[in-house]
Amino acid sequence: MNKITNASIGSSIKKIGLKQEFSSMLILFVMFTITAILQDNFFQPNSVVRNINAFAPLILLAMGQAVVIISGGLDLSAGAALSLLTCVLTYVMRQDEPITGVYAIVIAFAVAVLIGVINGIGIGYLRIPPVILTFATSYIWLGAALFIRPTPGGESVKWFKIFYDTKSAEGVPAFVKAIGSVFQPALVLVLVGCLIWYVISKTKIGRYIYAVGSSNDSAYATGINTAKVQMMACIINSVFIFLAALFFVGQNQSGDARMGDPMTLRAIAAVVVGGIALTGGRGSVYLAIVGALILSFVNKIIFFADIPNAYQTLVSGLIIIVAIAGSVAYSYINKKAVGRESK
Amino acid sequence: MDTMKNLNDMSIAQKGSLSVMIDKNKKTIVAFLLIIFLFILGEIVVSNFFSVGQVLLTIKLSSFIALFALCQMIVIAAGGGGLDLSVGFTATLTAILTAVLMDGKNENLLLAILVALAIGAVIGLANGALVSYVKLPPLVVTMAMASIIQGIINVYTAGKSITGKPAPILQTLAAQSTGIFPNILFVLIFMAVIVMIILNKTRWGLKLFGVGTNETNAYLSGVDVKTVRMVAFIISGAVAGLIGLLLIGNMGTAFKDMGSSYVMPSIAAVVVGGVSLAGGEGNYFRVILGSIFLQTLTNLLVALGWGDAGKWLGFGIVLFVLLIAYVSDRRKR
Amino acid sequence: MILEVKGVRKCFGGVVALSDGNLVCRLGKITGLLGANGSGKSTISKIITGVYNADCGEITYNGQCVKYKNPNEARRDGIAMVFQNLSLIPDLTVWQNIVLGAEQKKGIGLDNKSAKEISEKIINKLHPGLDINKKVNQLNPGEMQIVEIAKAISAEPRLLILDEPTAALEQAQVKNLFQYMRELANQGVSMIFTSHRMWEVMEICDDVIIFRNGENVASIDFAEEGKDADKIINYITGDSKKSECEIVDREISGEAVLSIKGMNYGKHLRDISFELKKGEVLGIGGLAGQGQNELLLALAGAYPDMKCDAEINGRKIKLTKPVNAVRNSILLVPGDRQLEGLFLKDSVYKNTIFPKLALKRQPLFIPSKKYRMECEHIVKTLSIKTHTIDTPVGTLSGGNQQKVVVGKWLSFDINVLLLADPAKGVDIGAKRDLYQYIVDMVKEKNTSVILYASDCEELIQYCDRVLIMYEGQIVDSLEGCNINEDEIVSASMCVKRTMEVG
Repeated sequence: MNKITNASIGSSIKKIGLKQEFSSMLILFVMFTITAILQDNFFQPNSVVRNINAFAPLILLAMGQAVVIISGGLDLSAGAALSLLTCVLTYVMRQDEPITGVYAIVIAFAVAVLIGVINGIGIGYLRIPPVILTFATSYIWLGAALFIRPTPGGESVKWFKIFYDTKSAEGVPAFVKAIGSVFQPALVLVLVGCLIWYVISKTKIGRYIYAVGSSNDSAYATGINTAKVQMMACIINSVFIFLAALFFVGQNQSGDARMGDPMTLRAIAAVVVGGIALTGGRGSVYLAIVGALILSFVNKIIFFADIPNAYQTLVSGLIIIVAIAGSVAYSYINKKAVGRESK
Repeated sequence: MDTMKNLNDMSIAQKGSLSVMIDKNKKTIVAFLLIIFLFILGEIVVSNFFSVGQVLLTIKLSSFIALFALCQMIVIAAGGGGLDLSVGFTATLTAILTAVLMDGKNENLLLAILVALAIGAVIGLANGALVSYVKLPPLVVTMAMASIIQGIINVYTAGKSITGKPAPILQTLAAQSTGIFPNILFVLIFMAVIVMIILNKTRWGLKLFGVGTNETNAYLSGVDVKTVRMVAFIISGAVAGLIGLLLIGNMGTAFKDMGSSYVMPSIAAVVVGGVSLAGGEGNYFRVILGSIFLQTLTNLLVALGWGDAGKWLGFGIVLFVLLIAYVSDRRKR
Repeated sequence: MILEVKGVRKCFGGVVALSDGNLVCRLGKITGLLGANGSGKSTISKIITGVYNADCGEITYNGQCVKYKNPNEARRDGIAMVFQNLSLIPDLTVWQNIVLGAEQKKGIGLDNKSAKEISEKIINKLHPGLDINKKVNQLNPGEMQIVEIAKAISAEPRLLILDEPTAALEQAQVKNLFQYMRELANQGVSMIFTSHRMWEVMEICDDVIIFRNGENVASIDFAEEGKDADKIINYITGDSKKSECEIVDREISGEAVLSIKGMNYGKHLRDISFELKKGEVLGIGGLAGQGQNELLLALAGAYPDMKCDAEINGRKIKLTKPVNAVRNSILLVPGDRQLEGLFLKDSVYKNTIFPKLALKRQPLFIPSKKYRMECEHIVKTLSIKTHTIDTPVGTLSGGNQQKVVVGKWLSFDINVLLLADPAKGVDIGAKRDLYQYIVDMVKEKNTSVILYASDCEELIQYCDRVLIMYEGQIVDSLEGCNINEDEIVSASMCVKRTMEVG
């Protein structure tokens, strides 16, 4: 193959490939279409609301995970953190005292930040490999959650339902209910998350997260406080997890120390499927939303295609491996194409 | 001037080897002391905690952690951030499948062993290929693999109850004792001896440690690094498969969650044993001590009435602290 | 006078990099630093900006005594250094890299508009047409170097230090750079400029300071003293003691043991062809980083992507895997012994027996008694100073460590021994032992050796023939009486060539 053909193949792959957004959006569109076809009532309001409620938690977790991964880390404790936060919320709240809802939110937020700080100190300052560090902390969160809530349960104030379905919330002013009927709470939470990231992405920290993830040593040589940046990324992740916890407690009115277990791997898979590199430094956080949606639609397809319940875990696991392998292979081809072009 | 230089060099080497000898045994001493410390604490809380019977029981219970920790140690020793999170479900899978095969009799034991080995090895092969050749991160691969195996178990057991009983030999080995000594302890010692011989006295062991210590040097010396790492995963899988047989021998029947609670402790045992997570070393004796430590910790927490919560909290904190002590990299760049 | 460096000294381990460094920089003038490998010119720049700490001496900047702990401190005082591609973020764009660490704010966000304007302005002077929105990982090494330079300039320094910035640049880019440097100088920025291309220094610098063996031997002001290339070369190479050529003419049989044709590896090795005769000691010379290390690694089979036609003793081989090289007894003593040649925490014994694993048909169980005896023998032959063979290699001195690296190949029947700067960081005694052994081996067993040495002395003393490498190619071949310091240095710096161009 002479140089010219290499270059032209390379440049066409590059044009498509560099728009990794393009390819994952394409896959999303395909999944969306298939699901719409399989589910009869897909476009009816009831169904749309239910779907958004089902997808929102994974979207939030995936966005948070994306931020950590882009900064060069990884958070295997995300699911356990989620569980812990639901337990904290339902521990502080008393059903008959509406004000405890406010306390719960404040305290849970503080716990979320603390979780981020601890992970951040381990990854950023102590430079313990993120994989094993967050593996350890996931058991600390689990233990703490079991401590507060040995069995699923707990209390929730009646107005907490605004995080799930404003119509059934009690003790809430009418205008809130009105807003809630137009803007679904789950959607609002996701939008709040997006807004948070939007603001951060325009600041120094936003850029430094990418810099540190791309090359920790170069960022350090330029004088950037890489430890602090990585810790901030962990804290941002915790805030996203906090938002998801609000949703879950709003929905279930109870806390459960193990509910988050399966969500960690799915969040990481969503990030990878969306097209963000596990090595860090690149990818738009919004791609995590695309990835989460793809995974969610695939799950629906499995459900509607009448694949027996028993197979679902198996298929999930396979999809994750294929997705990750595919993504790695894809960026490898991408690198080679770019490499050849610039020679 | 030459002789002075010689002396200088020699005393550097001498000081080096002496302090290194203390260092080498320091971790074993620390692990030992930690265990004794816990037992003493336990004795304060609950009388009879530190008794012969209790100690032996602890060792028996910790055997499974130690066996799974062997899988981890081999994968970790190969370097490159290797870990195997699929060992728990691999063992569960082989337990469930061979239970039916053996059906409570000894005749099919050999077949069961071969089946367990084969299944474990295939899983290990898949893990190893994805990590070594496709270059996916080990943690994510083995985690996803665990999920897949869990799925396979779900499919297999869908709609039917898990039947089958282990061969009586397995029950003797895993569950019973000879005199005061639990039989599994002998299995453990036997495995430990074989493992240490293979790792320290064979070519393959030297290769494995070389690859984990300095991948570039091993590569330039002509070693096929990718294959060595893949083989490490295959062995881990195969051993995990065999552990499944012992698990079912111990419990009497198989169930879906047999192995998963051992995964975390198996990694923690390696860290407690002071074995480097970066690879290049493996002292199974220390890892066994690490497992005993973790089991003792669990017993202590149970004795304190902290139950499950305390167990995981304790594990997490201990692992975190040990990671800071053994793994963190606070040196200024 | 904006900067004065007096009597600076720096040692690394036992090796003296700089014994007496002196330097004067004037306002708005460009000072060049010239010197051969290891002469100290790079070290002094790094000490000024705080990458290294001097052992003694003083640095006066703007009339005040300074001692910076890291480059960031220096930058705050107005001294900026252009790194050699060590501080760029691959996934960020050109303009984002240029302002990295010094971003201006606009409200809560960043002032990207002015950042882009500043970047555009600087890039236009250096490399017009370079798209500042490109990500750095899409650039070629030359363009990356331009961005590094732009990054340093954007800090608006009063003293700009450029350490070999032109190494990766093409002719046109160098011209633009020089134009910009002249502009900056006229605005009052002082510069220190290092290059291995002498004609560049002659062209852009106002004065030049020449280093040799860790101290500066001359300081020439071009405005006053004019530019005399020959004089400069003499300063670089030292008193040309044109010693009588005492060449021990060795009988080297015409047989080629290794034949290499058309070796190519990316940008590091370009179209390399040569033959190694049996029993010959072939030297590889040239300035540091011209591909010598890569050549030896390639011969050892370390690069699967490397392409070449190779024959050993007339038989074709593929040098795509190290195991192929080892089994053909082409054995490498790598350039960085700690990173590439040793298991630091393992014993001398373990290190010496490790390579045997690559051989076919070895026993499953390590025959420790036999191997231990072999190891003892190696320790004795090379005079390795170690307490026992179980001592960890990491505790040995540099010279002894290097002996272990060589020692691990001794039990092989060596066809070709590849030595990548074997005496670097090794004390005189060990160096002598090592070379003595190699010379004996060549004489007695007719082993062929390819020796890359950064120190000319070794090439002169031991080689029958020397190939000089420059930018990945072989540019000259010296034999017999031509192997002397003058010839080697001028070939390394391509003086003959560029004198015509310059």
